[in-house]
Amino acid sequence: MAAPQDEKPVPRWREDFPIAWERDHYISRRELVKFLTLGSALLAGMSVLVAVVGRWFLRRPREGPSVPIGKASEIPPGGSLLFRYPTDDDPCILLRARDGKLRAYSQVCTHLSCAVIHRPQRDRLFCPCHQGWFDAASGSPTGGPPTRRLPRIRLRAEGDEIFAEGKDL
Amino acid sequence: MRSSPKERTSEVGTPRQGLPLFTAICVLIGTLVVIQLWLLAAALDALLGGHTAVLFPAAAASAVLFLVNAGLLLHALNFDRRLRDRDHDAGA
Repeated sequence: MAAPQDEKPVPRWREDFPIAWERDHYISRRELVKFLTLGSALLAGMSVLVAVVGRWFLRRPREGPSVPIGKASEIPPGGSLLFRYPTDDDPCILLRARDGKLRAYSQVCTHLSCAVIHRPQRDRLFCPCHQGWFDAASGSPTGGPPTRRLPRIRLRAEGDEIFAEGKDL
Repeated sequence: MRSSPKERTSEVGTPRQGLPLFTAICVLIGTLVVIQLWLLAAALDALLGGHTAVLFPAAAASAVLFLVNAGLLLHALNFDRRLRDRDHDAGA
């Protein structure tokens, strides 16, 4: 049977764009499986990258300037002292925990950056904004919304003088 | 010894078996990818929290899930290839 007379000839550009518009967004199951497996490879690679970064790059404590922050004799058991380290925009807290040891942490809550305060009765740090609690001995979250521990300030004692010497993330 | 066409069909599978096979593999791989996403999110959270001890187990688990996904993909591709070979043999 002969072709109808009114059939339009195929334009030349069609050779370069052979896929019809309706088929342009069509994805077969095979393509989806390949795409998902590629995504799986990327996710596995990113997980390995995160592990490598955590193992060899972020575990090193951040060195900082050595700054005198107070005298140990001025902080009684259960007492605390506020200071700023390493810059004036970084509030920190030095406290004497129940075990008698001095420890210092960033005062910025790891949830939404409110200032934490020391609660010596419970030997913990408390964030009043969202009722978050942190252990005074380790800085780890013990209650409320925070999931990450407070950054610890490394301390050095010279006689009675306490120096801040760096920040561990 | 050359097997009969009926036996070969049962060994290779049919195009009708391909549809549920690929659907099942899609669902399986999708589920494993979601688990990998969760692992990555948990690893990032642990990294920011300073709990670096869990990072390598999470990476290893993610790598194992990827290997499972790659195995499923290879199985699906082999299924396709066997079907093509069978059709080619039947045509010839």
